[in-house]
Amino acid sequence: MEKMKEPIKKKWIWIGLVLIVLAIVPWYHSVKAVEPIILGFPFWAFLSGIFSLVLCGYLSWLCTHEWNIVEDIEEAEKRKVDEQ
Amino acid sequence: MNLAFSGMDGVIILVFYALVMLLIGYLSGRGDKKIHHSMSGYFLAGKNLGFIALFFTLYATQYSGNTIVGYAPTAYRSGFSWIQSVSFMTIIIGVYLLFAPRLYVISKRNKFITPTDWLKYRFNSKAVTLLGVFLMLWGLGNYLLEQLVAIGQAVAGMTGGTIPYQVAVIAFILVMLAYEWMGGMKAVAFTDVMQGLVLMVGILVFLGGALYLVGGNLTNVTTFIMDSEPAKVGVPAMETSINWFSILILVGCGAAIYPHAVQRIYSAESEKTLKKSFARMAWMPPVTTGLVFVIGIIGISMFPGLNEANSEQLVGMMANEIASINSFYYWVMILFFGGIVAAIVSTADSVLLSFSSMISNDIYGNFINPKASEYRKVLVGKIVGVIAVILLIWIAWNPPGTLYQIFVLKFELLVQVFPAFILGLYWKKLSAKPVFWGMLLGAVIAGVMTLTGLKTIYGIHGGVIGLLVNFGVVVIGSVLMPVSAKQEGQADEMTSLKIEA
Repeated sequence: MEKMKEPIKKKWIWIGLVLIVLAIVPWYHSVKAVEPIILGFPFWAFLSGIFSLVLCGYLSWLCTHEWNIVEDIEEAEKRKVDEQ
Repeated sequence: MNLAFSGMDGVIILVFYALVMLLIGYLSGRGDKKIHHSMSGYFLAGKNLGFIALFFTLYATQYSGNTIVGYAPTAYRSGFSWIQSVSFMTIIIGVYLLFAPRLYVISKRNKFITPTDWLKYRFNSKAVTLLGVFLMLWGLGNYLLEQLVAIGQAVAGMTGGTIPYQVAVIAFILVMLAYEWMGGMKAVAFTDVMQGLVLMVGILVFLGGALYLVGGNLTNVTTFIMDSEPAKVGVPAMETSINWFSILILVGCGAAIYPHAVQRIYSAESEKTLKKSFARMAWMPPVTTGLVFVIGIIGISMFPGLNEANSEQLVGMMANEIASINSFYYWVMILFFGGIVAAIVSTADSVLLSFSSMISNDIYGNFINPKASEYRKVLVGKIVGVIAVILLIWIAWNPPGTLYQIFVLKFELLVQVFPAFILGLYWKKLSAKPVFWGMLLGAVIAGVMTLTGLKTIYGIHGGVIGLLVNFGVVVIGSVLMPVSAKQEGQADEMTSLKIEA
């Protein structure tokens, strides 16, 4: 049986989340960060968009890999019911 | 939004959508007596929603027709900084990760029906329960009001007035009430599958058409905006960035704690289903609000220089252009506008169901008639739901001249339940009195700021300032007025991760 995993208990998850959010919000750019235009996005918005995608991937991955509390018990029970 | 292209074709599609919704409602309620005789059966689909239904009901609840009709004009007006709509819809999943894993286990063990059940169980305080119910019902009521108004506007716009606004509202609300009455949460979730799919496909085709019209090149669009309105492309001012952080907190905490959102955690068939749904939901913002954002940006070059009121019509104006490309786009645009109506209905139905469940479980079953049978409680919830809708329509059609702002308060009030909800899960020393006063003070600050028109201070929303004060009161109060060792032990038991009682 896999070890029980609850996201709130892992500090690195939340530090990671804050860092990604800090990268998404464009507070750190100078006014010149408009160019180059990449795929139609001004540079700062392109960067913000990329980090927004990183956030999606990060959260999606956390859901499947860092959250496991009663899944094993529930799935074992389901198998038992199916077998009967 | 008036569409020159639809008229009678629009009416036909709307009737078709309405019939499909009714059919789904009928089929999901048929032969399942449990639905009407059990609270969990009616309001939570027997806590047995599988992956597809759970995913789409989460999707259709979070993304309404307003996401398109309202967000594209916002992108049009604010320019590239509206890319924030991707991150603030994504962060909701991050907030879920804070509390959903544990709340899911506790809710299964204790057979919770409403979010209030958790507050009642954890704090055992009438004051906390009542205030929590009040804030949540207020937020839900206003949210529902907004959706009801939007249904009428979308239908009237789509059919070019063939179906007048008021007839549209009544017709679609009757459809919604009918399928909800027949199948409860099961009907809501299954109709959400249809409504969510139409919305997703519609946005994609809409973007395709818009890109086609501007020559398929977004860079040209951006260069055009840089020349005509450079502020919409430029790096946002510091206050905009602060506002962006603030909205991440407000929407993240507020949307995750929406009662209908919490009830979807309760409805999941298993932990596996729940996490799989959330994992997929995390990818939905780029393909929903992200694409709508690009649509709004393209709108700047298609229809430059619209004032605020006219820009609200942007989606309709763009749809007219797209529909005239060829007959494929024409029909897809009609299906899409029907989809927008369906998406608004799908959000409204979830909110209404949640509203009914709180009346039935938290007010009627808790305070008025605790001995009532489950059948009776469900029936009371249904009937009060119908009455609430009638009242809200009356308000929508006779908007009060003054104090209209109280009908705008949603997130600001709802989010004040957040500290009690989340800290209660993890902090055993949390005590009921500070929780009550924190919630009340936070709500008053948020309410007063909104009512006086002082929406933000340095870009920070009143709801967020209220939330910070709320957290402060809760934490300091609980440290100063510690709970007894016995209560701490009880809290430990309540928040444990055991699956059996």
